[in-house]
Amino acid sequence: MEDEKFDCIIVGGGVAGCAAAKVLADNNMKILLVEKGEWTGSKNVSGGVLYGPTPWEIFPELKNTLENPPFERFINRRRLSFMSDDSSFSIDYKSQKYDNVPYNGVSVLRSKFDRWLGEQVEESIAKSDFAEDSFVATEVMVEELIIKDGKVCGIRAGEDEFESDCVILAEGVNSLLTRSIGLQKEIVDAKYVATGIKEVWQYDQDLLEAKFQLDGLEGVSNEFVGCTKGIEGGGFLYTNKDSISLGLVLGIKDLRDSNETVYDLLDSFKDHTSIKPLLKGGKMVEYSAHVVPVGDIDMIPKQLYTDGAVVVGDAAGLVLNTGKSIEGMNLAMESGRQAALAIIEAKKKRDFSKASLKSYQDRLSESYVMKDLRNFQGAFHFIHNPDMFKKYPDLVNSIMNDVFLVDGQEKKKTRDIIKKAVDESDLSYWDLMKTSIQGGLSL
Amino acid sequence: MKFFVCCKQVPDVAMAFQIKDGELQKDDLNYVLNAYDASAVEESLVIKDAVSELDLSLVLMGAEKGKEALRKGLAMGANDAFHIEDDAFEGSDSHAAANVLEAFFKDKEYDAILCGKQSQDMDMGLTGGLLAEKLNIPYVTNAVGLEVNEEAKSILVTRQGDAGQEKVELSFPCIVSCSNDMNEPRIPSLRGIMQSKKKPMNKVSVADLGLATDAVGKSGSKSTLLSMDFPKARKAGEKFEGEASELVSTLIDKLTNEAKVL
Amino acid sequence: MSKILVIADQKDNKIKKSTFEVLSEAKKLADASGSSLEAVILGEAIAQEAKVLAHYGVSKIYTVENSMFKNYLNRPFIDGLKKVIDASSPKLVMVPTSESVKDYLPGLVGATNACGIMDCSAVSLDGGKVQIERPLMAAKAVSKMESSDDLVILSIRSGSFDAVEADTSLSCDIESVDLGTVDIKAVFKELISAQSDRVSLDDANVVIACGRGVKDKSGFELVEKLADVFGAAVGSTRALVENGIAEPSLQVGQTGKVVSPDLYIAVGISGAVQHTAGMSNSKVIVAINKDEEAPIFSLSDYGLVGDLFDIVPKLTEAVKELKAN
Ligand SMILES: Cc1cc2nc3c(=O)[nH]c(=O)nc-3n(C[C@H](O)[C@H](O)[C@H](O)COP(=O)(O)OP(=O)(O)OC[C@H]3O[C@@H](n4cnc5c(N)ncnc54)[C@H](O)[C@@H]3O)c2cc1C
Ligand SMILES: Cc1cc2nc3c(=O)[nH]c(=O)nc-3n(C[C@H](O)[C@H](O)[C@H](O)COP(=O)(O)OP(=O)(O)OC[C@H]3O[C@@H](n4cnc5c(N)ncnc54)[C@H](O)[C@@H]3O)c2cc1C
Ligand SMILES: Nc1ncnc2c1ncn2[C@@H]1O[C@H](COP(=O)(O)O)[C@@H](O)[C@H]1O
Repeated sequence: MEDEKFDCIIVGGGVAGCAAAKVLADNNMKILLVEKGEWTGSKNVSGGVLYGPTPWEIFPELKNTLENPPFERFINRRRLSFMSDDSSFSIDYKSQKYDNVPYNGVSVLRSKFDRWLGEQVEESIAKSDFAEDSFVATEVMVEELIIKDGKVCGIRAGEDEFESDCVILAEGVNSLLTRSIGLQKEIVDAKYVATGIKEVWQYDQDLLEAKFQLDGLEGVSNEFVGCTKGIEGGGFLYTNKDSISLGLVLGIKDLRDSNETVYDLLDSFKDHTSIKPLLKGGKMVEYSAHVVPVGDIDMIPKQLYTDGAVVVGDAAGLVLNTGKSIEGMNLAMESGRQAALAIIEAKKKRDFSKASLKSYQDRLSESYVMKDLRNFQGAFHFIHNPDMFKKYPDLVNSIMNDVFLVDGQEKKKTRDIIKKAVDESDLSYWDLMKTSIQGGLSL
Repeated sequence: MKFFVCCKQVPDVAMAFQIKDGELQKDDLNYVLNAYDASAVEESLVIKDAVSELDLSLVLMGAEKGKEALRKGLAMGANDAFHIEDDAFEGSDSHAAANVLEAFFKDKEYDAILCGKQSQDMDMGLTGGLLAEKLNIPYVTNAVGLEVNEEAKSILVTRQGDAGQEKVELSFPCIVSCSNDMNEPRIPSLRGIMQSKKKPMNKVSVADLGLATDAVGKSGSKSTLLSMDFPKARKAGEKFEGEASELVSTLIDKLTNEAKVL
Repeated sequence: MSKILVIADQKDNKIKKSTFEVLSEAKKLADASGSSLEAVILGEAIAQEAKVLAHYGVSKIYTVENSMFKNYLNRPFIDGLKKVIDASSPKLVMVPTSESVKDYLPGLVGATNACGIMDCSAVSLDGGKVQIERPLMAAKAVSKMESSDDLVILSIRSGSFDAVEADTSLSCDIESVDLGTVDIKAVFKELISAQSDRVSLDDANVVIACGRGVKDKSGFELVEKLADVFGAAVGSTRALVENGIAEPSLQVGQTGKVVSPDLYIAVGISGAVQHTAGMSNSKVIVAINKDEEAPIFSLSDYGLVGDLFDIVPKLTEAVKELKAN
């Protein structure tokens, strides 16, 4: 019987797993990528803007697909909106600087995009020396890690057991296997997780492009604060090819402590004066809910490796929540790449011990992933200031209302407007000052 | 014994899809092995497990992508696969499919060919019977059970008919079109998936079959698909909540006075 | 246009309602295109019943009588119909869908080298072309198709057309066709009949269908009782057939029967596309489900959110009372 042992088994075919598998296959490693869904990405939900150059580097084929890309649109216009119950105030930025490959960000629908990633992994496998011995296996759930002498050395799926020099855990946020070997805390505190709900609304493509003023592959992303009835979190809206993804990300702890239900919050968001008209002419075609790490560096395990295994992506809690947006996919892909590179090195040394795989974490610390996560830790606490989700958006809107109001009365001076608004809100000037200093320092 | 299963790759109809200017938008579709064909594969494998001498081949006519559907059948446990692949197949109807399959089977040895009762996307259900007629062998459709009698060289088919379940015996060679009510197709194991990559996947071209390209695809079809559209959507009507007895009296009132069907 | 031939479907030597629907539409098409309309019926003893076909404006009726039609096998139908088609030489053949039709029609299409299209919901004639509409993608889409073949054979989805009033004053020639010898390579072994006294799904004006929500045989019996007070047929989802709780012949949907009654009550059915593919054309749809998010509600005219075990017995009583008055 031929040697069945793999160089590496990757558990989970999301963006992290596919990125890792791609890099490994490109470097002629014998791999097995296992995904429990019907195809890579079939189970994946996300609001969907993939930021930065990482995907273009790992999957250079992307730039040859612009005629009919696996992603939806490139984002060259970003809006941030502050909502109160009946008004909203937006900062809107559009730039031609974002018009070229590698795009600053692209909107993706995961079940389509990840499927394409999986196909690319297959292509790389076909070009490798292990065309018939490396696999992308779907509809297979890894139930257990095989551990011998304290070292991870394979997986079990149903009756089948397979050995490998090492395992990459790319299983996403419900990291059962990662927890089973102690790389992630058994129970993650509710304050570290949020629930994301998303709807996809379909339009006639021309109507969508007219509604959102899009030309060609252009797309817009819009984030919202103040739409969550004071619950930590925010809203998002991204344009896809002929649909939009919109939804909310809500802190689970706050949500539990409130009397609100996710549905009611989503309904009132969709009912808001600045959203409702956008939905006209569209048809809701998909609804989904998913857990997402809130992006606190405290939640990331101190050690992302052990003997024979490393953990990447959401399973490692690598999500950056800048308050402007969630970045999870790009970090997932980058961590997948760094894990793969560490394993390629380990293979050369024939050493898959803890000591050898530590180079993954070193690489990650050097990369933008950990740097960003550290740098934005301040922002994290800043945006977790509860006032951010209700009082400040209300304040901004109350000011803007008075600025624009024409009511046949003598116009007020801006300074007076602000004074009145602050007096009426229960925020003190001290709060405001503290917040703006904090914000300035951390964002 | 030698069985073939005719496999078609179809879009997953459970998923949302788009139609634009009368055409189905193919890019976003997810393609799968036709569920009825998967049942035909499963049933053959059950026979194979019992008889062990059964050699099971798959045949698919279709685009390059179709190999994924064949791979699935191989991972389930079929021995080998034939992929009749040509761009000219785009737009084939059941008549064109049957023509190509007839050319394929003309010089093949087999005891039985299993088809699905219909393809999930077109719901046509013509190919199996048409092919049987062309090959001049007996057939039965809507099979929900098979029993092979190797000595007598026959299959006892249970089919779901109008008056109940009919048991019909066919002598080899024959064609049986299978319902998915026959079984629950197995999900390939990880080992099965791995083995499938090493099983023979034979490519066959239109020229190999001695067919002209105008005998296949759109020009070999007898019907033309002009356009597609979404049906007039039924509007969701009223929804009532409350005590069972209240619900019942509301319904009776609505059915009597509004819908007038009582 | 030359000629349209309708194949009549019968059960126990009685012509089925679906045949009259098809005949009525075929007559309209024939009149509009200046074609003549003929019909054929096959069976054990159908000479008497055949006359009824004339009441729909048929100008000639072919009968094929033979004891071989007692137990269904496809070969006698294929051979018998091929003879009639050769004699009548129609341009268009229409037949209401049934399990038997789905079985023999592919063979007939092959034997006559015709263009076959199954399960059509609309038909029109445009010069030498036949245009049809039919559902596809589990009835989530409808398509328009066309054929300009010399002979087009269509099966028609039940409930697609309304049957007109029969005109009993009409009559026409009846020609008996001899089936002759049939070379049968199949043997009919046994019929496991699932006949009950209840109306069959094909003919029912009211269908009470149930799904996994009824849980077991006793839940199923609750639904049967409701069907009885309505004089309705019982339908089922695949889930219940799989569990052995419902007869396979009761399955409604993509794999099972297509029905379009005046009233369809879905009890404990989630509303999977493969199920709704078989019932979404019903005139009035009622759903009883305890899950207010169940997809079945999105196509129901009246949705009752609640426990079927509470609602169904009460509904049975209420309908019983109503019918008594
Ligand atoms: C509502 C919402 C909006 C978001 N918006 C954005 C955004 O705009 N931009 C952004 O960058 N990020 C966003 N994110 C975050 C982003 O989705 C995640 O960070 C990213 O998907 C992580 O990728 P991953 O590959 O680590 O995990 P996943 O994408 O979750 O993939 C894990 C895969 O592993 C498979 N799997 C799990 N266990 C097993 C097993 N035992 N055996 C086999 N397979 C298994 C799963 O089926 C899945 O396919 C959002 C998240 C949510 C919920
Ligand atoms: C190729 C293919 C063909 C198929 N063909 C068919 C077909 O022809 N016909 C068909 O039906 N299916 C078909 N199926 C199966 C179909 O996909 C679904 O699995 C099936 O229809 C589900 O049946 P269900 O609604 O009874 O069960 P479920 O989906 O399990 O739904 C049960 C429902 O009952 C409700 N319920 C439970 N308890 C109660 C209570 N006490 N009171 C009220 N409500 C309750 C639940 O809320 C739930 O909505 C096919 C599938 C495939 C893949
Ligand atoms: N392109 C094809 N290749 C192989 N088999 C096919 C093809 N098209 C149809 N079939 C077989 O014919 C059955 C019925 O198809 P249809 O007539 O299209 O509904 C399918 O379930 C398959 O078994």
